[in-house]
Amino acid sequence: MSMFTYAGIILGVMVSIYIIAKIFKLSTELSMLAAAIAGGLAGGFRIPARHIAEGAMTYLDINLIFITATLFMNILKESGGVAFVVRRILKRFHRSRTLLFILLTLLLLIPGALTGAGSVTVLITGGMVAVVLNYMGISKVRTTAIVFIIAGLSAAAPPVSLWAMMTAAGVNMPYVGFFYPLLIPCVIAALLTIFILGWKGTGTDIEKAFEELPEPPEKMNWLRVILPFIIFLGLVFIGRQWPHSTPVIGLPLMFLCAAVTSFILSPVKVNFFKISGDTVEQLLPLIGTLTCAGILVQIMTLTGVRGLLAVSTVTLPVIVVYASLFFVLPVSEAVLMWGAAPVIGVPLVLLFNTIGLNPIVALAGMSVIWPLGDALPPTAIIGRLTVEIVGYKESYIRFLKACIIPAIIIMIIGTLMVIYSSELGFLTGL
Amino acid sequence: MADNNVYIRKIILSVLGFLLLIFSGISFYKHRHLEEHVVLGEGVTEVKKLSDYFDGVKGTINDCNIYILEGKEPGATLFVMGASHPEEPAGRLAPWIFVENGVMEKGRLIVVLSANRSGTTVTRLGGGYPPDYTIPTGWGEQKFRMGDRWANPLDQWPDPEVYIHYPSRQNLAYVDIRNLNRAWPGRPNGTLTEKTCYAFMELIRKEKVDIFIDLHEAELQYPVISTIVAHEKGHELAAVVSMVLTDMGEFNMGMEYSPKSLHGLSHREVGDFSDAISLLFEAPEPFLDATRGKTTREQLLTGKDEFIVKAGEHGLLFEKIDENGWPIDVRVGRHTSAVLMTMEIWTEEHPDMSLVCINVPGYAEVIENGIGYYLKDPFRANPERVIIE
Amino acid sequence: MNILMSIITVIYYLLVAYTAVILIYNLIKTKTWEKEALYIIVLLPFLLRLFRLK
Repeated sequence: MSMFTYAGIILGVMVSIYIIAKIFKLSTELSMLAAAIAGGLAGGFRIPARHIAEGAMTYLDINLIFITATLFMNILKESGGVAFVVRRILKRFHRSRTLLFILLTLLLLIPGALTGAGSVTVLITGGMVAVVLNYMGISKVRTTAIVFIIAGLSAAAPPVSLWAMMTAAGVNMPYVGFFYPLLIPCVIAALLTIFILGWKGTGTDIEKAFEELPEPPEKMNWLRVILPFIIFLGLVFIGRQWPHSTPVIGLPLMFLCAAVTSFILSPVKVNFFKISGDTVEQLLPLIGTLTCAGILVQIMTLTGVRGLLAVSTVTLPVIVVYASLFFVLPVSEAVLMWGAAPVIGVPLVLLFNTIGLNPIVALAGMSVIWPLGDALPPTAIIGRLTVEIVGYKESYIRFLKACIIPAIIIMIIGTLMVIYSSELGFLTGL
Repeated sequence: MADNNVYIRKIILSVLGFLLLIFSGISFYKHRHLEEHVVLGEGVTEVKKLSDYFDGVKGTINDCNIYILEGKEPGATLFVMGASHPEEPAGRLAPWIFVENGVMEKGRLIVVLSANRSGTTVTRLGGGYPPDYTIPTGWGEQKFRMGDRWANPLDQWPDPEVYIHYPSRQNLAYVDIRNLNRAWPGRPNGTLTEKTCYAFMELIRKEKVDIFIDLHEAELQYPVISTIVAHEKGHELAAVVSMVLTDMGEFNMGMEYSPKSLHGLSHREVGDFSDAISLLFEAPEPFLDATRGKTTREQLLTGKDEFIVKAGEHGLLFEKIDENGWPIDVRVGRHTSAVLMTMEIWTEEHPDMSLVCINVPGYAEVIENGIGYYLKDPFRANPERVIIE
Repeated sequence: MNILMSIITVIYYLLVAYTAVILIYNLIKTKTWEKEALYIIVLLPFLLRLFRLK
């Protein structure tokens, strides 16, 4: 049997099992696991315990970043820090819609940019920003769309962009030089989104907004909010400034230090163990997806399915690849979530590299498009989460329609970044 | 009743998870502790440890063996390093042949088989690598650990947010802080990988090494392949070696200049931070290509892969490949021949500082007889001449 | 410096142990089989690292 037939059959088995699992309403994570195990069996590897475990290990460090960063954000929220910031911004800037939009965009971008997860943005600041947007006269459906789109962009934004990190790791490319190629499109697209979808609203009803926003504890102040961030950024700075006279700390421990600072400074009593438990529970779909995606990718690599997808992709006419990015990336994200990066991202970057494009800018362009898939079934995890947190109760399709204009803008920006990546190469050296 | 069912279900799922943990754990443990035997050839005059040159690595997993083949007559000193990247087996098996067979007539040869020993105890996450591979020999099979490009996180953890190379301050991917060939010249109070590089630099300085060769393999989609990458001190030597090897018609060997701005790599830093000429040899290894098909021991050793052939048909590769693949014998033969040729050309240019090695097979011989022919049976050898690698 | 690095590594193992405890606690608490299965899968890499197997 030729390798094409062999890998093709296994791919068919894996896809079939995934679809059957979804028909039986299994979660995406377990469907991926089922597909992986079926792939191993079909490939003649029986149940390869070593490979399942090795695949599950793939994103251990990223999971630790997730857990510690979200723990930090949750403690900040629990201590009233986030409500404090939102109220202060609203009070100070409610007269200027433009300024308010810019600051709200920033609030939405920061949690996801730091943690690499759009869901963290939705959970930490999404709900509160939605309240403010509502009282600025923006409809619920548009508010949901704004929060979802910017949450997705926040996940793609630097310093932590999982799609870029995972793809870069898959092609032995350093995750270096991505900061501006990711930051610039994310900020531009986020601002365009909020201004396009939000401009038509009425004036800000500050009284009503204040009534609905949670009241921060009396003793909460700027120092208590900012100090944990200073600790985090200080540790990043120290590591970069004096890398050879300080020990390696790593992102998880940096976030943990920030979390502990926030915990100590909290004006209200926070139950650390309970909040840790809640954090892990809240993150289970995400760390579960990463773990199962790791297993899936390992089995796909073991059986040659990854190679089949890779070789099929890289041998396509380039024009077809360009023209289908806007479709392929969100759909792969909808099916595999971050697993899309090593499965689809790796061969695409190899192709772009071979034909002389700038792989960093091209990958950054792809990373901006990927999160759009988070609103699409079968997973739609961030989309569903946003709808729930914002409290949008109407049809999901209407919400998707509200996302179309910013989504098209993001697709155009991302695709142009890929096509003109060589010309935009200077961004990597800024 | 319902609670009881939940309880039983939890136990069943936990048992399944536990079984997965046990079976995978045993496999990982066995891989990490697989003993590889080296039978010292008659040419090996001394076996040292890396910590003899820098005690900062003493007691660590990277305190590897240093095999010294002192020549009958004095000459230059050549240092051949294997397993800088332990996922590249030809880079490890070629120096193995030198240790088990080589005899230096003139000059001195220093050989390392597991430069990043930690990296030989782990396989790549998501890579589907086999934990080991076996080479058939006349007396049975010899098993070797398959490794990774990076040191084992069990020996060096955590990774930084970004890896800033010492001393150039060049930014590299965070994971490359465990990549031995991104950590040169190392530093005495750094990470395990940096300390290992520093120890090798101390060896190079203390043993007054004249030529340093780092043996590698590369994926066919990588532009630096089937070539010698040379520090400026070694341009002339590398150019002649590459020219002669290619002109002899055995195989094509290119030659490239070590970029001055690319830091942490042995071909740059060893040359910059010692008196040695530093060279890096690359052979083709289709196993490393992301477009590879089924990931198996067979693919690792034969280098046959339909998918990569297909990528080649579309002009996406930097080295040719056909249905014959790139067998391990061919890859190892390239390395042994290239090292022998380096000695020969060096000796022609420096007759007073000769390097003459005998009993080591070149390209054609390795292909004809297979690597196994040159591996010695550790169970029939004098136990005093058997070392655990 | 070496001592500091060792301390940080130990903190990481403690972090992994703490997370494993939380995962096990949540596993015991949860009532749906899908979440139970997922907790077990997610727990696997944490235990492999904690026991220094991978």
